[in-house]
Amino acid sequence: MNIHYKVNGARVEVEVDPDEMLLEVLRRDLDLRSVRTTCGVGVCGACTALIDGEPVSTCIYLAPLADGCEITTVEGLGSDHPVQRAFEEEHAFQCGYCTPGMILTVKTLLEENPHPSDEEIKVALGGNLCRCGCYVKIINAVKRAAAAYSGDPSLVR
Amino acid sequence: MSDPRVTGAIRYAQDVEFEGMLHARVLRSPYPHARVLHVDTSAVPDHIVALTPEDVRGLGSYGCQIKDQSVLAVDRVRFAGDPVVAVAAPTRLEAEEALSLIDVEYETLPSVYDAVEAASEGAPLVHEHHPISDNDAAYFGMRPQQGTNICHRFRIWHGNIQEGFDKAEVIVEEMYRTAGAQHAHMEPHASVALWRGDRLEIWTGTQTPFNLRMDLAGIFGIPEDRIRIICPPMGGAFGAKTFVRYEAIVACLARKAGCPVKIVLDRNEEWLTLNRHPAILRIRLGARADGILVAKQVECWVDTGAYADCGPGVAQKMGYAAVGPYRIPHVWVDSHCIYTNLPPNGAFRGYGAMQAVWASERTMDLLAQQLNVDPLELRLKNVLLDGDRFCTGEVMHDVHFIECLTAVADKIGWADHQAGKGLCVLMKGMQTPSRASIVVVANDDGTYDVHCATAEMGQGAWRSMRLMAAELLNVEPNRVHFPIPDTDIVPYDTRTTSSRSTYMMGRALVEAVRDLKKRGEIGYGECVNKGGLDPDTGQGIASTHWHQGAAAVKVQVDEETGKFQIGKLHTSIYAGRVVNRPGAELQNEGSMIMGIGTALFEGITFADGQVTNANLSDYNIPAAGDIPDITHDLLEREGAEIHGLGETALPPVPAAIGNALYSLGIHVTELPMSAEAVLNAIDHKQTQHAAHDGTASNPHKR
Repeated sequence: MNIHYKVNGARVEVEVDPDEMLLEVLRRDLDLRSVRTTCGVGVCGACTALIDGEPVSTCIYLAPLADGCEITTVEGLGSDHPVQRAFEEEHAFQCGYCTPGMILTVKTLLEENPHPSDEEIKVALGGNLCRCGCYVKIINAVKRAAAAYSGDPSLVR
Repeated sequence: MSDPRVTGAIRYAQDVEFEGMLHARVLRSPYPHARVLHVDTSAVPDHIVALTPEDVRGLGSYGCQIKDQSVLAVDRVRFAGDPVVAVAAPTRLEAEEALSLIDVEYETLPSVYDAVEAASEGAPLVHEHHPISDNDAAYFGMRPQQGTNICHRFRIWHGNIQEGFDKAEVIVEEMYRTAGAQHAHMEPHASVALWRGDRLEIWTGTQTPFNLRMDLAGIFGIPEDRIRIICPPMGGAFGAKTFVRYEAIVACLARKAGCPVKIVLDRNEEWLTLNRHPAILRIRLGARADGILVAKQVECWVDTGAYADCGPGVAQKMGYAAVGPYRIPHVWVDSHCIYTNLPPNGAFRGYGAMQAVWASERTMDLLAQQLNVDPLELRLKNVLLDGDRFCTGEVMHDVHFIECLTAVADKIGWADHQAGKGLCVLMKGMQTPSRASIVVVANDDGTYDVHCATAEMGQGAWRSMRLMAAELLNVEPNRVHFPIPDTDIVPYDTRTTSSRSTYMMGRALVEAVRDLKKRGEIGYGECVNKGGLDPDTGQGIASTHWHQGAAAVKVQVDEETGKFQIGKLHTSIYAGRVVNRPGAELQNEGSMIMGIGTALFEGITFADGQVTNANLSDYNIPAAGDIPDITHDLLEREGAEIHGLGETALPPVPAAIGNALYSLGIHVTELPMSAEAVLNAIDHKQTQHAAHDGTASNPHKR
């Protein structure tokens, strides 16, 4: 079936099977490799993309359900988004496999809650697993990004 | 210049693609132990390539330490998940569907799932013979016990154990168990193979390109230089991406299909590929009344599953690590690596040290209680100092156990009161013997290329190498390039394991830069560390230098539910000299967090030989919300050697937590320490309290 998305600002048309997951379509047809397979059951968050601004596990999201939606992946943030900068400045990653999903989740968190507490950050990141265990620095990166968003330097460690 | 990990631009092995490439899937045995009577692939459509046991029967067997594996299970399957047939199709979906068209007839055989039972006489044999591998990963004297399930036995004889226990005024003894664990690296195993004429080219996430090349050469009967291994960065590995995993299967499929073939595992297949060794350890420890240790007896039953992989090495390391960083005049160790009909177990961050430290350091606290002394004091009194001999006969140098212990004790306020607090100290060996070599090339534009086989799996090795090279060459780090390792280009390296790369490859780099300055355009350097242990006596050099650390923790227990909270966890790790500070911190923090998973909830469960939690929903790994207040410090000394930091902070975490529970009278001997296990231990404590049984040498013995 024929589906239309707006992906990272560009309108695209793709041919998908009705039972295909969005993850497959993003990687195979649109070559968006920041969206990654890990658990296949929607618990780890490595396949996160934003659908109309909301983080979604694309490994369990049927591709046709996103017809007409706006999809954002890390490729769409460019390379200088405040959350990306914060992750880089805080060294908040090791292998980098989970990082794009983390960044998208944090972007949504900070848009909804510009000054999250540590507990709120941990809850928001509950669906993004990092097996390298970079959580200490990831939480620091979220605070740094929050400061950059709101211009409040006191939030920077 | 944004990092490709934040822009998503990094490319892992799973992203490698070639024109006309096929996708592979594997048909696995549903039975833990069975004869394969008949394989029928006739229903598979012609455009899909099926690789059957008959296709691989004539190929060489392989195995990094014991040669016990064939490319597919031929005639017999040894665990539920053993690959029997592989297919390659234009899409993964077609390959998956083709698996359902294959018919395999089995005749089930008796199986064994417990290491102690498997080591007993009359147990069903998983393998009849245990041929020692010619791979250089079989670097020590292997002692397979033919006609049994024991594929390696490692012993230490130091002093006279009987005499030692005769001198002991207090003796404690306990038995411990640790569960199997899954690495759960985020990027699944991924490999692509293609043949260019008579040359095999493999793109794969591997920590061991040269060991892989050696085994593939043996499988195909071709010289090593006709095989090229290219190693993109990995999305995590933690020991899982070592030796031959699926590279041989895709190489065979690619040869049969005449085009490139790729495999990317489904998550559940990871539990059928490689896990951490479940282990059973029995420790008997004797001391004089003044707390001086006099004798220690260690027995290990290391469950390596259906294939040995590097289990013999793990059993050896577990054996000496369980002696601990102590001066003990009489030591006796007997460690067995044992086959069972469970999925294979192999290298896992810590390499046997976690299991060893759990048993050894828990026992130290049992002894402290019997002696009625402070567990910290007991350790300080007995830890190895510079110039002391370890039980292997080697003389210790550059040891810092006292500093590590006092640092962690201070951080949790040990001196104030000790209920709910626990600590732990450890030593962990580094791969000995081994060799690292490296080439540095000066380019015309003022940049440099560093060529070495050190693999990047997130541990930051490539950044460390670039920082060290930049310092030695006196240039900005961005002028140093590190092309992805390619065995056609890079010189030999033993492997990227055991936290050895920054130290060993770093020393080779110093030589290479010195050579480059002499020769102008290209410089070569190598570093060799020599040693090894006699497997029958345990004498020799276990490690040319030691990874050292300590952990301390505060816990609060809900005695109604068995749930407990970690109030604070601190580790102090000896770094010698830090090269890449954020990388070093990340390694410590990541190790501690993995240690929390091991301590609290990670454990593979089985029913009749089948894994019952092979997914990340039933098998939990730590999430952000599981992280308590964790802190650490990196102990440095002016002019000291670099010490690897990839694993050291993991092994002490479970034991420190177990000791904190023990300080409250809660004696848990098995990992993970689930709420249920803690509640059982609380019930046991209350029962014992009621019985007033204080006469045995160990009142908490189960």
